[in-house]
Amino acid sequence: MRKYILVRAFYSVITLWLLVSIVFAMVRLTGDPVKMKGEVGADATYLQRIRHDWGLDQPVYRQYANYIGNLLRGDFGHSFEKSLPVRTIYFERLPNSLKLGFAAFVISIVLGVPLGMLSALKVNSWWDNVGKMIALLGLSMPGFFVGMVLMIIFGIELGWLPVLGKGSSTFAWSNPSTWVPFWFRDWPHLVLPAFALGWYFSGAMLRITRSGMLDVLGSDYIKLVRLKGVPERMVVAKHALKNSMIPVLTFAGLNLLIMVNVAVVIEVIFNWPGVGQLLYDGLSNRDFPMVQGVVLMSGLMIVVLNFTIDVLYGYVDPRIRLSR
Amino acid sequence: MIKGLLALVAVSALLLTTHGDATAQKAAGTPLLSGPLAKLDIKPAQIEKAKGKPQGTLTVGMHFALDPGWLDPLEHITAVTMQMYDYFVHDALIKGMPNGEFVYGLAEQAELAADFRQAAFRLRPGLKFHDGHPLTTTDVKWTYENFKGAYTKLFKDKLEHIQVVDDRTIVFHFKEPFVEFMDLYNGSVTGIGWIVPKHYYEKVGRDGFKARPIGAGPYKLVSQEAGVQMTFEANEDYWRRVPATQTIVVKGIRDLAARMAGLQTGELDLAFGMTGKLLPRLMADKNLRWDPNFTGPWWLMFPGYNEPDSPFRDKRVRQAVSLAINRQFLVKQETQDIGKAWGNWIGPENRDALKGDKDAPVPEYNVEKAKQLLAQAGFPNGVEFEWYVAFPPYFDMGERILTDLRAVGIRGKVQVLEGPAFRAKIGQGRKGYPSNKTIVQNIDPRSGGAKANLGVYAVCGSPSSFVCEPQIEALWTKHQASVDPLERERLVKAIQRALLDGYHFIPIYLNPFVHAVGPRVLPDGEGFHRYWDTLHAPYPWPWEVWEVKANR
Repeated sequence: MRKYILVRAFYSVITLWLLVSIVFAMVRLTGDPVKMKGEVGADATYLQRIRHDWGLDQPVYRQYANYIGNLLRGDFGHSFEKSLPVRTIYFERLPNSLKLGFAAFVISIVLGVPLGMLSALKVNSWWDNVGKMIALLGLSMPGFFVGMVLMIIFGIELGWLPVLGKGSSTFAWSNPSTWVPFWFRDWPHLVLPAFALGWYFSGAMLRITRSGMLDVLGSDYIKLVRLKGVPERMVVAKHALKNSMIPVLTFAGLNLLIMVNVAVVIEVIFNWPGVGQLLYDGLSNRDFPMVQGVVLMSGLMIVVLNFTIDVLYGYVDPRIRLSR
Repeated sequence: MIKGLLALVAVSALLLTTHGDATAQKAAGTPLLSGPLAKLDIKPAQIEKAKGKPQGTLTVGMHFALDPGWLDPLEHITAVTMQMYDYFVHDALIKGMPNGEFVYGLAEQAELAADFRQAAFRLRPGLKFHDGHPLTTTDVKWTYENFKGAYTKLFKDKLEHIQVVDDRTIVFHFKEPFVEFMDLYNGSVTGIGWIVPKHYYEKVGRDGFKARPIGAGPYKLVSQEAGVQMTFEANEDYWRRVPATQTIVVKGIRDLAARMAGLQTGELDLAFGMTGKLLPRLMADKNLRWDPNFTGPWWLMFPGYNEPDSPFRDKRVRQAVSLAINRQFLVKQETQDIGKAWGNWIGPENRDALKGDKDAPVPEYNVEKAKQLLAQAGFPNGVEFEWYVAFPPYFDMGERILTDLRAVGIRGKVQVLEGPAFRAKIGQGRKGYPSNKTIVQNIDPRSGGAKANLGVYAVCGSPSSFVCEPQIEALWTKHQASVDPLERERLVKAIQRALLDGYHFIPIYLNPFVHAVGPRVLPDGEGFHRYWDTLHAPYPWPWEVWEVKANR
């Protein structure tokens, strides 16, 4: 098991190294950030100073070496566009993204899983048709459209909910007294963006739950259980549900990471200060350190999740660790 | 209207004669410089008595992400957006205010030698930064010497030395006549005029200052989330007046619909950049008020026009472009008739600018004449060009202009660029556009007089040059060599005339950069337009005059 974990950890590190190297190269293909910062009429001396400050006057191999060296010290560099250390800005935004992502995740689960189960249990019935319709709407109505509609109805017309930002609560890493209240305050601000974000994923969740449930309900062991005369409620609750949830949970885990890291459109519409907007700003402004930092952190989350899943798989199923 | 009147006053403004003016000196106090002085038209500061404690919160929706770097004048960029933040936290020796383009700020007296080789200032007594530390000439000198912004080279090249006479008196000595010094030092244009506290900057460093700057301005930054929000609290010790609003929160909200929604739900009290598709909705909302906020004119440029393969090499083709544009229709479609068709590419608030409704009449709209000119230029079947580079996000406007051009046979495609990519290209001037068959749409409400725009776009030596013509170059060289303000004004106007006559730049209309306010902004009714009285201010500074209803 120990060797297995070490091998997986090694693969994870290699994956991350490849990720940062590829992103480092790719962002440099987007153009010269100094020209963007320069503004109309800026003279060559000024541009040269910016280039020097940003370390872009050095050969690319040296920029790369500096970047990797700084990363190993936990320094993601300075944002070109926002003028502060990337790490500071990123970790200021991360709690906001986690809050929105978790709330949307809960909404997607609460809507998607029960409706998916109901669709599967009442297959080809009226319930199933309703479920399929909801899944279709969830997947076909983009988040920005749902967001705008919600904004107009609940924000502007009814005036029930705020439409901009996250409210006044802030998570400050340096101030432990903010760590808990942050998650429980300003919920009205969260409702609309979380629903708009979770809505799309609830459609996907509904579909995958339904098909997973149908697969399990049609399997031989469920037929055997039914032949034994076990009540249908017990068949579903004790035997079908648990097994049908395996793909759902794997999918849900990835969805959560997506909701946390790349909810760009919803963040822009509701002016939610998450990391998705950081990435978008970084890309549009050729802010190399910001793009590198955000992608690295997203990649790190995925790598850690995959590593954990691999280790758990290896733990629960010895065949996996022995085969590798 | 008030802006217009102020503009007329400013046209006859700053440097009128090189003769000494003993009366002015006497009025201002003890002379700071010996010898003849240039006459300066600097208005006195309007110091107002406290009208009670600051109250309420003004929440502002900015139309793009916020940059903490905007809070550091030492790294000032040329963009006017940054000035908005200068006016919150910092203060300058002289600066633009509603009562004039040049108004005394931290300085109570300024003098400029008649030969433009010396400039002297006397600070007001008792000035303090937000932390209570005295603001002295040491800070003024240190700011100049440590400035790293867009015009650093010019300031360093011109400077011989800075003489700190005492805590309140400072003299700048220049190696050669520095005619533009007051223009460039007045808080706008370059940013070098905003005074940074030496003791604090040296203590907290560059990052620390951007994260938590202090200055001598009317508002103190109390918190910020990079890119998202900045919160300012009133500085009740501000020398000019106690700010009327207690708290100002600025939020970066890129999406127009979100800003509109914020105004309608009351989450925003002031929103910028409301011109566009939602303008009719804004105008129809009885709870909201708006100000047209004219900034500058739109205009078209032809990068690489003087290359042999450019269809725009022929003046008649450029003239045909101008004749093809139905400016009145554009104004109606794009701005709900708020904009004004305009005959110059430099805004009317700029000193020495030809007025686009009088000095340079609005160009004619004449499709038949445009077709005739194209035929005469050897294009009887029209002209194909590659890209019409629309100014982001005004892509609809680009399409409308292209439709006009197609009607006379000038055919091309709209190029859609993100804002930063557009700025990166235009900053390189003609070199930013490899093809010589391109039309670029632009707007630049740049302060510093008409010469500032000319120096950037219309002379060969500028890094952002779009025009390089011997006739214009000769006039510009003469202008740069002259220390006679009247001659300089005449030359600046002659260059503008040459550019328009040669159809190098095609003016379109004066753009309203509409701002909107919600019901909490005082005064009720139409009196709120006074917030936009400052010349060359695309944003409604100074902030200390903004009034809102008290928080519930």
